[in-house]
Amino acid sequence: MKRLAFIAMAFAALAAAAWAPSQPPLGPASLTSLPAVPVPAHNPMSAEKIALGRLLFFDARLSGDASTSCASCHLPQHGWSHSEALAPGYPGHRLWRNNPTVLNAAYFRHLMWDGTLDSLEIQARSAMQAPVEGNGKAFMVEMRLRLIPDYVERFRRAFGSEWPQLDDAWRAIAAFERTLVSDPRLVPLDRHLAGDRTALSPAARRGLSLFEGKAGCIQCHHGALASDEGFHALGVPRQQLFDSNPRVQIAVRWQNRQRDVPRAVYRNGDEDLGRYYRTRDPADIGKFRTPSLRELKYTAPYMHNGVFATLREVVDFFDAGGGETANKSPLLKPLGLSSEEKNDLVAFLEALSMERPLLVAVPELPPLLPLDGIVGTDCAAPAGDPVVNFHAAVTQRPRL
Amino acid sequence: MSWLQKTCRALTMLCLLAGCPAAHAQAPHLQPLPAPAKVDPALADLGRHLFFEPRLSGDGSRSCASCHIPARGFADGEPLSRGYNGTEYFRNAPGLLSVRLKPRLMWDGRGTELNAVVREMLLDAQFMNGNANIIAERIRQMPPLFALWRRAFGERSEPRGEQAFLAIGEYLKTLDFGRSAVDAALRGEAGLPPLADQGMRLFTGKAGCVACHHGPLLSDGRPHRLGVPEHPALMREPLRTVSLLRHVALHKLPNPMATRGDPGVYAISKDPAERGSFITPGLRGLNHSAPYLHNGRFGSLDEVVDFHDRGGGPGSELRPLGLSPQERRALVAFLQALSAPLEKVAEPPAHDYDAVDGSRW
Repeated sequence: MKRLAFIAMAFAALAAAAWAPSQPPLGPASLTSLPAVPVPAHNPMSAEKIALGRLLFFDARLSGDASTSCASCHLPQHGWSHSEALAPGYPGHRLWRNNPTVLNAAYFRHLMWDGTLDSLEIQARSAMQAPVEGNGKAFMVEMRLRLIPDYVERFRRAFGSEWPQLDDAWRAIAAFERTLVSDPRLVPLDRHLAGDRTALSPAARRGLSLFEGKAGCIQCHHGALASDEGFHALGVPRQQLFDSNPRVQIAVRWQNRQRDVPRAVYRNGDEDLGRYYRTRDPADIGKFRTPSLRELKYTAPYMHNGVFATLREVVDFFDAGGGETANKSPLLKPLGLSSEEKNDLVAFLEALSMERPLLVAVPELPPLLPLDGIVGTDCAAPAGDPVVNFHAAVTQRPRL
Repeated sequence: MSWLQKTCRALTMLCLLAGCPAAHAQAPHLQPLPAPAKVDPALADLGRHLFFEPRLSGDGSRSCASCHIPARGFADGEPLSRGYNGTEYFRNAPGLLSVRLKPRLMWDGRGTELNAVVREMLLDAQFMNGNANIIAERIRQMPPLFALWRRAFGERSEPRGEQAFLAIGEYLKTLDFGRSAVDAALRGEAGLPPLADQGMRLFTGKAGCVACHHGPLLSDGRPHRLGVPEHPALMREPLRTVSLLRHVALHKLPNPMATRGDPGVYAISKDPAERGSFITPGLRGLNHSAPYLHNGRFGSLDEVVDFHDRGGGPGSELRPLGLSPQERRALVAFLQALSAPLEKVAEPPAHDYDAVDGSRW
């Protein structure tokens, strides 16, 4: 028995040691300013790449029927997210979760509400190829890019490839997304943290005190993103579209089936099981990643299912101690906030947003042109051609 | 005994004398359509509903019938088919009547199994760009269609994409050409009009068409190169080029970016000798399925016959025939006599989604 306990302790110590480097520093949790954007070694930033990524972000030709670009669900004028609780996604569909903003996504270690994707590059690919989002099949989309001479030139400059490679498209989009971050000069909280005593309004200052004190928000919402990047079950109210909208029901069952849950779970699946899909631990059912609180002013509606339209509704929900759910976080308790205190909290939450939205002009996209305009030949490939393997070029660089 | 049966018998004798291995069968000859296929009626009925259901496609906009239009002999009437939204295909959409009799379904010889081709059409980015599991969930969300599903697959069955392909395949087995004037003549029931009758003699005689166009569909189901000129749209319209080059890359041919023409059967067989070859099309129902050949290059049967009379284009296997204008007209009359009036196809009503009660997990 003692031996077992010892082994358990040893594992716990090992786990803690392995976990420690990615955790925020010990000590009282606090809000901090955003550091420089982390850039992965396999995808260094360059001006050419960012410019190309900006074009691709708005280019619907990356989707199956050339209807849907990244910007179709991540609209700059809606805080690089969508104004509907559940966005339409690809034509004929409706998504099952509220789509998160691209703003500051570059800082998250794990993306998506259940933390299942690990980089912006992989997220871009995943979104544009998922049947409910972009439905773009790789060879078709890649070949479209290759018949856009302006892209051929831009890919060559950014990546040194003879022909555009689809993996490089995701790299370029990710590089562009790493530029979509809050400007601290425009964020009252960041100015406050930098020592500007007038940056926060009196209401926002009172809200900050509540945030860090009586309301206890800081327990999960801390650090530069105002998120612990952890997973918590709050008992957010059910999204009524799960019961009334056929396309949402199709999406929910399909998502469950894709995630390979037991057949009985999938068959009657009308729930989003959250973090459980990644860990398969029943204790994680209904848990979702703590969202960042930056740029909330522009990213309504809120929560993983978009069930709250305003920040006041969100605050009311937390004030009531959250909702009902099996694995509910013990941190949620009724707060007993007065109406004025709730107003103050909302004022503070708005002070985590830039004073004006980050907008990007929708670029004019280069056209597809006949291929002969590029290579200037007019013959069928003869049998003796040197073999240029279509796949070899793709694998020259490390995979995403 | 008709002259045709006599000819067949003479050819058979010739083969026997020559020790031809196929002699015990018969020399190339025309055959009437066989009896209708036996199908599972519940499965075929489900398949008919699915055939016209646009929600099987990725964006819910295109059904099988979008490119295989019943009133056009289940072809689409375009030289080059359109395919999925946002794409333009690089070949002609073949008709589907009596498709069950084709040994190879696609122009380039791929697809030897009907249900597998249905699967490719529904899932491939070029055609309907669907997803098998989404197809299954969408069927479940349309109560009348779900009821048909359970009638076909059992009262406790759940929709599955793979079985949806099976149902459509079953429906396709019910599609047949009607009996043409030539069928009546082959059965000795009625003679052909004089011009068509002359055409049939040319077809099996001087013009030699029967060498490749024989059997019930008038096709040997094998690859041949006629040197049909490339359709100019292939390189002029970038989305057509995208489809062509993607096809070449997908089938792992070398150097796809240097391709400037349709590789035909070569892309599938990888045999360079079959570069630019295509499977012989059947000749029934041509009155309803213009334009003709793998790239729809010819809008009329006159053009097709003229092309064959010239011995085809560059690299063709054909030899010039030296037909007179009158003989060419007779051949066209025979080809036209291979068509029967199209049967009216009952299109099922459009289905709509309904919210369903899922019991909570």
